[in-house]
Amino acid sequence: MLTVEKLQEYGADTKTGLSRCADNEALYLRLVGIIVQEISSGTLGEALEASDLEKAFFIAHKLKGGVNNMALTPVAEPLNKLTELLRSKIPGDYEGLYAEIICKTNELVAL
Amino acid sequence: MTANNFFSISEERRRILLVEDDYVNQETLKASLGDIYDIVVAETGEEALEIIRAQYETLSIVLLDLNLPGISGIDVLSRIKGDPGYSRLPVIVMTADNEAEVECLTLGAIDFIPKPYPASKVILARILRIIELSEDRETLRLTERDQLTGLYNKEFFYRYVAQLDLYHKDTPADAIVFDVNHFHTYNDRYGKTRGDEILKRIANNATSYVNEAGGIVCRSVADTFMLYCKHIDNYEALLARLSACLDDDSISENRVRLRMGVYVNADKNVDIERRFDRAKMAADTARDHLTAPIGLFNHSMRETEILEEQLIDGFHAALREKQFVVYYQPKFDIEQDVPVLSSAEALVRWKHPTLGLVSPGVFIPLFEKNGLIQELDQYVWSQTASKIRDWKERLNISLPVSVNVSRINLYDPELTDKLLNITKTNGLNAKNLLLEITESAYTEKTDQIITTVKNLRKHGFFIEMDDFGCGYSSLSMLIDMPIDALKLDIQFIRSAFKEQKDTRLLEAMIGLAKSFEVPTIAEGVETAEQYAELKAMGCNTIQGYYFSRPLPEDDFEKLIVKALKKEENEC
Repeated sequence: MLTVEKLQEYGADTKTGLSRCADNEALYLRLVGIIVQEISSGTLGEALEASDLEKAFFIAHKLKGGVNNMALTPVAEPLNKLTELLRSKIPGDYEGLYAEIICKTNELVAL
Repeated sequence: MTANNFFSISEERRRILLVEDDYVNQETLKASLGDIYDIVVAETGEEALEIIRAQYETLSIVLLDLNLPGISGIDVLSRIKGDPGYSRLPVIVMTADNEAEVECLTLGAIDFIPKPYPASKVILARILRIIELSEDRETLRLTERDQLTGLYNKEFFYRYVAQLDLYHKDTPADAIVFDVNHFHTYNDRYGKTRGDEILKRIANNATSYVNEAGGIVCRSVADTFMLYCKHIDNYEALLARLSACLDDDSISENRVRLRMGVYVNADKNVDIERRFDRAKMAADTARDHLTAPIGLFNHSMRETEILEEQLIDGFHAALREKQFVVYYQPKFDIEQDVPVLSSAEALVRWKHPTLGLVSPGVFIPLFEKNGLIQELDQYVWSQTASKIRDWKERLNISLPVSVNVSRINLYDPELTDKLLNITKTNGLNAKNLLLEITESAYTEKTDQIITTVKNLRKHGFFIEMDDFGCGYSSLSMLIDMPIDALKLDIQFIRSAFKEQKDTRLLEAMIGLAKSFEVPTIAEGVETAEQYAELKAMGCNTIQGYYFSRPLPEDDFEKLIVKALKKEENEC
């Protein structure tokens, strides 16, 4: 079962994340679970695969908001990089960054 | 919540519209704010605008995400701020994009919440403060402005004038008051809607002037406006500008005319309110002057103002110290061959400790204006009644004396009781104290006055209509009005006997009174010729310098004693 301690070990800045949830642990953990589900749903990967960069940016941007607010630092780092690349429409290693996002998300799922 | 504060604005939970499509962000903000505020969520821009349209009045703030499906957050912001109906709703933009800040501030966002969010308590404190500020600003907006014209109201106007003075100490400025000649008549004749329209036009003209030339303007009360602006020379041009377009769709043939009073280059050491009092004083000199609708405050007005203040300040001490003294002017019955002393009129004089003898022509109009006349009248009634009693007791003389009853006293529901109390206290009956009521009083609130006068007569008081013929005469009044004598105005007598004598109207008036079986009293009679002619015309009673000027009580006492002896001898 996901706990704040496990998230902390994973590398999340749980103190900051909790402060944004009015220090409500249950809410914090519930929202983290929702974010994990959203990332794992694969919609971002589908958009990237279809080269629909606009859609990919919209999804990435949305995920980025939640991930950063919950201070899930290990996922936030590649997600932020990917979002900025998509925003500026600069060609880059989208697939590599996405793979890192999935990897860090899976680590979260395994907690 | 207690029963006391249940129905309370301050206890009401404010409502926040959260425009955010991301569930996690929604939940985060709900966790931060939900204990204090009611949160309404819109997930798209369209939904947000719909909620604003329907619930604008009960929303305190909008938290707006910029990245929304459909119309963007920027679009939503510009639509809210571009609609005068909703533009005052405060919007806080939530974004991680620093570059969007300038654009959002330009569009009218009040603040930002960065993403990722700060701690809950930071967001909460920020929103609390912004709601407070916005509500204060809205309250100020509603209270500082006149709802009809959108101009400042008087209180805030004075405050902003003080600010102008602070920043422009050395700039000469004029204090100006302007209003519409006989606006209440206009309202009565053409309706309030039309009157309001005129006021709005005047306000627009004045606003357009201050937008160009600087200064500020307010609607102080009813149709009176105040303007504080840089000193100018051409007040005619200003008046023309303020009056522009007032008659464009006039339904009357009468032009809407403004009159204006200016305190030129107002002394900034004088209180702001006082500066505008002076401008008002100047405006009052322009009333009814269609060809000279602008009055400028001058030194003599200032002297008058100082004198008036001195008189008002000293009024109550004067009553206490009996500085007001009653003089008596005899009235003679001229129906017989020999004139017979029949009564007198009590006339008040003020022996002021520093100003000397002050003319009633100075203080009576002043006290009529500010209502002090009510107390002065009552003082004179008491003094007079006490003197009548004194003569009765010491000299065994029962001479009726008339006293003036000012208009304001006629509206006093206790008037009859007060007069009866005075006569009773002095052992007199109502017939001893004659009441002079000025003719002009009859022209206002006629029904009420008629009721009062009838009531007074029912209790035995004798009513003389004073100043008849001084300009308000309505002959039909004689039919409706219960009076016991008609007193012809002194100016009426004077103009009948001036250089090119014409007594036809005077004669007709006396004849008319006679046909109504109302005796006439002529005041201001000064010559033997006037006396003889009035007698020939059938006038019943004469008062004036021909017989005697108004006398202090001791001198008047000698006069009545002498008159009585003469009568006895003749008998």
